[in-house]
Amino acid sequence: MFSTSTQRKFWTFSDENEVARLREKHNLGFISKHGAHIDEYQRYNYFLSPEEERLLLKQYELHLKEFCRRFSPPMPKGVVGTAFHYFKRFYLYNSTMDYHPKEILATCVYLACKVEEFNVSICQFVANVKGDRDKASDIILNNELLLMQQLNYHLTIHNPFRPVEGFLIDIKTRCTLAKPERLRSGIDEFLEKVFLTDACLLYAPSQIALAAVLHAASKEQENLDCYVTEMLFRDAGSDKLAILIEAVRKIRSLVKMVENPVRERVRAIEKKLDKCRNQENNPDSEIYKRRIREALDEDDMAYTGSSRMSLDTSGMTQILSPSAS
Amino acid sequence: MDDQACPRCKTTKYRNPSLKLMVNVCGHALCESCVDLLFLKGSGSCPDCNVPLRRNNFRVQMFEDPMVEKEIDIRKRVLRDYNKKEEDFATLREYNDYLEEIETIVFNLTNNIDIVNTNKRIEHYKRDNREIIMKNKAKIGREEIELEEILDMEQKLEEARKADLLRMEQEAKKQKIREKEALIDELMFAEGDAKDILNTFAQNIANKQEEPLPAMPKVTQFSTGVKFSHGTAQATLPILEEGPLYRYEAPIVPDRCGPDPPSIDDIVNKGYLQHVRAENETEKAGGYSSTLPCLRALQDALAGLYHAS
Repeated sequence: MFSTSTQRKFWTFSDENEVARLREKHNLGFISKHGAHIDEYQRYNYFLSPEEERLLLKQYELHLKEFCRRFSPPMPKGVVGTAFHYFKRFYLYNSTMDYHPKEILATCVYLACKVEEFNVSICQFVANVKGDRDKASDIILNNELLLMQQLNYHLTIHNPFRPVEGFLIDIKTRCTLAKPERLRSGIDEFLEKVFLTDACLLYAPSQIALAAVLHAASKEQENLDCYVTEMLFRDAGSDKLAILIEAVRKIRSLVKMVENPVRERVRAIEKKLDKCRNQENNPDSEIYKRRIREALDEDDMAYTGSSRMSLDTSGMTQILSPSAS
Repeated sequence: MDDQACPRCKTTKYRNPSLKLMVNVCGHALCESCVDLLFLKGSGSCPDCNVPLRRNNFRVQMFEDPMVEKEIDIRKRVLRDYNKKEEDFATLREYNDYLEEIETIVFNLTNNIDIVNTNKRIEHYKRDNREIIMKNKAKIGREEIELEEILDMEQKLEEARKADLLRMEQEAKKQKIREKEALIDELMFAEGDAKDILNTFAQNIANKQEEPLPAMPKVTQFSTGVKFSHGTAQATLPILEEGPLYRYEAPIVPDRCGPDPPSIDDIVNKGYLQHVRAENETEKAGGYSSTLPCLRALQDALAGLYHAS
């Protein structure tokens, strides 16, 4: 149930500013760690600004949507929703400069497949990836544990898809609306766009679902307001109704404001990212390869020398699978 | 008997008294050594009719006419699928028709009449009655097990009874010997008239025989294994120390943060189920019911609606 979930407790934020502040904090954190030598005014010439990161992530959210749409075998909606949640959550506490979104994207989808019980093997999964498949599977498997750790192992996601079904059943049963099934196309369209916004970090899945239903109804020139006021909120106070109306209005305006980032801009940002990203986490870089080798050697030592009992939890654990070398 | 011969090597019962004829599904006989020779690899074809056969389907011929064997084989196979009982039919007439059909099929297959169509008919029947066939198979299996248990039990009882009888006989013999010895002793050492002594002994024995024989062990079971005293003379159950009785407490429902969803009764009675896919037979067997996903969807829809950021 959403009301007792970790999703509500840890991952639903009070407003957009809080989300933005978190992102900014980790942007600054990365810069101060890796760019201490660059002075304040010059730093954004080299590093990405929070706005640039935001734009980049928006572009990658579009990529995520496209990747899931083209995925074969066809993916259930719940997997897509869960992957979006993971992706957004990961970059609340991490900077794109630290971990490249293209790698995290695939890992999020892979983990979402597992959590939502959509059974694909890693081979089947990387068959959907363009380019070097072996490398892709290495990257995904390496990042999987990191991703789970960054999500604090809060893997259960409450998506708005089941609430939508619930509302439709309820409307069919208790309302006189003619042919409620015609709302479906509008709802699907709305939910697709919702995941490109931060709404799922701000509102309950049932609120998002209700917003989708109401939006689809208004598109069909129907009015479900009396269903909300007379049926759903009959026993609730008017203050609760006011909160819901505000939430629905906000979600709908968020969806309305969705626009695709300008392609040239994103391309420039990506170029910049290639220079300023943390090379320790870039599987193509020399530093990364050397670190893997060291980790492997250390592993061998740990196996031969029985004196070392505790696991080293600093730094190295991010590269966990020896298969990445 | 003298015309019982292997059609392949022409050995007869007369020349080889240990000759054993074997038959397979096609109904053509072969002697044991020919089977060993021809079916070295486990499978081969019948030298008479070229039908492909398996070695482990060979069995000893019980009837002189191999056609009978063949018919038994076929009947067994057919009855495996045609396993309906009289209870499965509404009228006796239908049941008789059904039996007639079985006989026709067996006759056709045995005498190679219209085999293709008959096999088709069996396939068709199998497809149409898959469920009943499976059910009856399970029933037959159960009945057989029960029957075996009963037979087992009866055999054990029989053995116990025989052992008892033997013991009693032996005791009676010993008793007789003892009496004889006592009589001889008496005759040797007693002072009285030998005739008198004989008379008293004969009377003693006669008296003893009038005494009732030790009662036979009481039969406590019907031959079906049901106890006579079942339900009346149960052994007293040991009384266990009891703690305080368990009391069911409904789990605390956490705050749903939304309007209350309908109860299961409401879902069933107020027409919610018309709008969800009904469960099919297989799902029902697994304990699934369409109320569950319906309730879950409604709960999910309503939970969190009051969520305030």
